[in-house]
Amino acid sequence: MATATVTPPREAAERSVRRARQIGEVLLAVENISLRFGGVRALSNVSFDIRRGEIRAIIGPNGAGKSSMLNVINGFYQPQEGRIIWKGRALSRMRPYDAAKGGIARTFQNIALFKGMSTLDNIMTGRILKMRASFFEQALWIGRGKSEELRERAFVERILDFLEITHIRHVPVGKLPYGLQKRVELARALAMEPELLLLDEPMAGMNLEEKEDMCRFILDVNEEFGTTVALIEHDMSVVMDISDRVVVLDYGRLLADGTPEEVRNDPAVIEAYLGVSHG
Amino acid sequence: MIYRETGQFRTSYAEDQAIFRLREDRIGIIVILAIAWVGIPLVADEYLLRAILIPFLILSVAAIGLNLLLGYCGQISLGTGAFMAVGAYAAYNLALRLPEIPLLIDFLLAGLIAAGIGIVFGLPSLRIKGLYLAVATLALQFFADWAFLRVHWFTNYTPSGSVTAPPLDIFGWLVDTPLEKYWLCLAFACATALFAKNLVRSRIGRSWMAIRDMDIAAEIIGIRPMHAKLSAFAVSSFIAGLAGVLWAFVHLGSWEPLAFSIDMSFRLLFMVIIGGMGSILGSFLGAAFITILPIFLNQVPAMVGIQLSTAMVSHLEFMIFGTLIVLFLIWEPHGLARLWQIGKEKMRLWPFPY
Repeated sequence: MATATVTPPREAAERSVRRARQIGEVLLAVENISLRFGGVRALSNVSFDIRRGEIRAIIGPNGAGKSSMLNVINGFYQPQEGRIIWKGRALSRMRPYDAAKGGIARTFQNIALFKGMSTLDNIMTGRILKMRASFFEQALWIGRGKSEELRERAFVERILDFLEITHIRHVPVGKLPYGLQKRVELARALAMEPELLLLDEPMAGMNLEEKEDMCRFILDVNEEFGTTVALIEHDMSVVMDISDRVVVLDYGRLLADGTPEEVRNDPAVIEAYLGVSHG
Repeated sequence: MIYRETGQFRTSYAEDQAIFRLREDRIGIIVILAIAWVGIPLVADEYLLRAILIPFLILSVAAIGLNLLLGYCGQISLGTGAFMAVGAYAAYNLALRLPEIPLLIDFLLAGLIAAGIGIVFGLPSLRIKGLYLAVATLALQFFADWAFLRVHWFTNYTPSGSVTAPPLDIFGWLVDTPLEKYWLCLAFACATALFAKNLVRSRIGRSWMAIRDMDIAAEIIGIRPMHAKLSAFAVSSFIAGLAGVLWAFVHLGSWEPLAFSIDMSFRLLFMVIIGGMGSILGSFLGAAFITILPIFLNQVPAMVGIQLSTAMVSHLEFMIFGTLIVLFLIWEPHGLARLWQIGKEKMRLWPFPY
């Protein structure tokens, strides 16, 4: 089991070989995206791509436009310029429903769970697009109304099991501690069987142990289901350990794009993060 | 009091997703149904049926309708009385103008008409939320009050504006004694409760709750807010419309537009809040509280031997009632249904405190 924060060199090398095989064609590309709110330029002319099967990190200082970028990808914000190419199809705008239907799931920086519902019901909502029962089948609990509920329940149980949260299935999520809520939110996103999983700071506010768990889950999801992951994260050691490629944003501009190694040694990135003395 | 889940193992998802998961709950509901269908008819006198139980059942149906919209989908509506009025007048006009349609079909059609109006007046919910939406639905209430008072076609040009329901002929069964009326209302209440319970444990109910709890997150998992909100308005006003038909045809017999004024909308809102938002059981508890408490408060001064004028009694009733609602909102915002749930949890652990 690879712990997240400290990876032995040999294991890392093995993983990079294995991963080279797993990563495929371009799944999603954003081209020349510009987003303005009134006079504020949240994103200017940003382009990058996400390949199938990879773990892609988006990093940058506060206010760099990372969350805005995710919001553009899953259709919350409509960029003024640029386009999104999703599985080879160019779209000038994405709508949240189309994104969900197309296989893009996401979690939020501040947890966006349905507080009044149990863990199970929260995750079941992730299966809504897979369900077809008509109104009367649901109202009378007959035919597909019942059979789908049971089929999807069985599916959701597998996710509960995978993320090790079976014990809280009937607990209202509002009562759960923060770390578990984050995990339930990941479970809900996974229930959609997404092709692309967008994670907005999945480890924010967690202690070391919870972070390691979360890293393990992200790696497992990526390896077992082949899900492509794009994540925003501030913890550099996590980013450098688990991601295949890293995008660096600063003031809404693309600062660097490459492997963790390349990005770490990029002078522009070092300047943005640490500042340099102009002697 | 033995109320335990120990030793009751659910071995399939079907069992785990049943409405009543515990054996005690299943026995309880059978007992309640037996009392309601057989026990009460054996002992109840006409006053109890007419003045208490029939209104209670009909208002429970209306409260379930509002609860689906407010408690499950989170859309505030002050227009429930208007939806009831639409149902009542639609059924009246259908019975009057198309006498060849069986009365029960009229009822369902009237519900569908109310659902259509509900969808139209639910459209503002796509743009506005909370109190602003409440004001928009208030507009429907005033519009309905005006329309049924001033557009005489709806009331068949009767000079007083009051209309009388035709005899209740349900496929040859002439419902005219209080007991038969009670059974009819009970059948509607049971059917509505089951229907509503099934909806809220299915996909559609989950999408309503998702919209209520966090509409942004609902959108990203593929719930279309328009579908969810408008379907909630449609189902809610269908049920409210049906309750309106029962209120007019079964309870009142003859009525005027004032029967469905804003007072009715507020009473239903109180029922849902006091009974428990997001609970079908709560709709019944709230309706019981609101219909029975005034009668009870009315009787108390006489029972303890205090002589008060009728006006004083009705004023006191209002004051005590208002105070109780405020206290409820402060102490138990989740209503009577929540108290019941807490009680059940306590019973499960009894005699241990934890």
